[in-house]
Amino acid sequence: MIDTFRHIQHQLDETPHLLRLGRLFSETVLIEVDGAEFYLTFEKGHIVSVVEGPSRKTPWRFALRTDAEALAKFWRPRPAPGFHDIFGLVKIGRGRVDGDILSLVKNLRFFKEVLSLARATTEPTA
Amino acid sequence: MSIEPITGRYLTVTVEGAPRRIYFEEAGQGRPVLCLHTAGADTRQWRHLMNDAEVTAAHRLIAFDMPWHGKSLPPEGFETQEYLLTTDAYIETVLAVIDGLGLDRPILAGCSMGGRIALQLAALHPGKFSGFIAIEASDFQPAWYDIDWFHRPDAHGGEMGAALVSANISPHAPDVERWNTLWMFMQSGPGVFRGDLSFYTRDDSLIPRLSSIDTAKTPVHIIVGAYDLTCTPEDAARTARAIPGATLAVMDELGHFPMSEHPAGFRPFFVDALERMPQQVPAPV
Repeated sequence: MIDTFRHIQHQLDETPHLLRLGRLFSETVLIEVDGAEFYLTFEKGHIVSVVEGPSRKTPWRFALRTDAEALAKFWRPRPAPGFHDIFGLVKIGRGRVDGDILSLVKNLRFFKEVLSLARATTEPTA
Repeated sequence: MSIEPITGRYLTVTVEGAPRRIYFEEAGQGRPVLCLHTAGADTRQWRHLMNDAEVTAAHRLIAFDMPWHGKSLPPEGFETQEYLLTTDAYIETVLAVIDGLGLDRPILAGCSMGGRIALQLAALHPGKFSGFIAIEASDFQPAWYDIDWFHRPDAHGGEMGAALVSANISPHAPDVERWNTLWMFMQSGPGVFRGDLSFYTRDDSLIPRLSSIDTAKTPVHIIVGAYDLTCTPEDAARTARAIPGATLAVMDELGHFPMSEHPAGFRPFFVDALERMPQQVPAPV
């Protein structure tokens, strides 16, 4: 999973419109996957570190808690209903958003598109 | 170069005792179909169907921007008002437009909050219409978000609103129409999306009225997209069950703004809905 977040980190550096959208975003976000913690620290739109937890010392602004299967479905080219958006995951009971929700909403397009950078462009072959 | 067949004009009507200058567009000839946009948007959501020559060959499609939306101005004194749409004002506006344009019992096609008010009108003013196409429409939807997010001095309500409603757009939608759909939300006036959502997420007065709708006189057809998180297929099905004789179609690859986000995907469902409506305006009751 950490490799996927590092892939997102590198993809973000290659995506000028997201760096522009996120230029005021300097926060740490917790992504929790099946209980495993991943801290993504943003600095002016760039992800400057991806650190795996657990950690009780790392402050974070908001968190997305979900499971690996849900994220795998989220990252399909055309996700099934509910798996197509982080609020879809919340709605179908496969995700939870905690913390400073307003910070998330103010940067919602940026965060959703950053998370979608791991989305496959073609369906994997069986 | 191309010039579209859609024409736009302005109509001034009285709503809540004061004038409202309302922008409306139309295309086609035949059975009138009055089309209502969603919260936080405007008539541009309907432009694909209005440009569809096969649809407009037998139908006069008319759409208008609600006051505060699109090219319809807010009322005089808006600068000190808090915009909060109500069921009564919404109904009064739709009926005023029908009377102002001299429409004889149009089919009413509304999406989201437009679908909600279509069902209210089916219950309360059926004699003004010949049938109802309620898209992404349900009895009641409490908010799964805080509507106050969308009107605050330290952030852009339109951009936040667009980012939120993008959750309701299908991944099958063409990118260009996804973003054209979101652009309308980005352009929405300050507090307008919030004021629409106040109506949509707080007024549950439709629930006890559903069973009184007489679909033998005015058919009700509900259409819902599987990717709609706000009005889910389950919400629409529950609503259809509460209306004796109502019919329901589920669109597997569409979301909350089907006519706007995925025009080609929505078209067959809308054509089917039109075919379910009375083929001629019924005689006056």
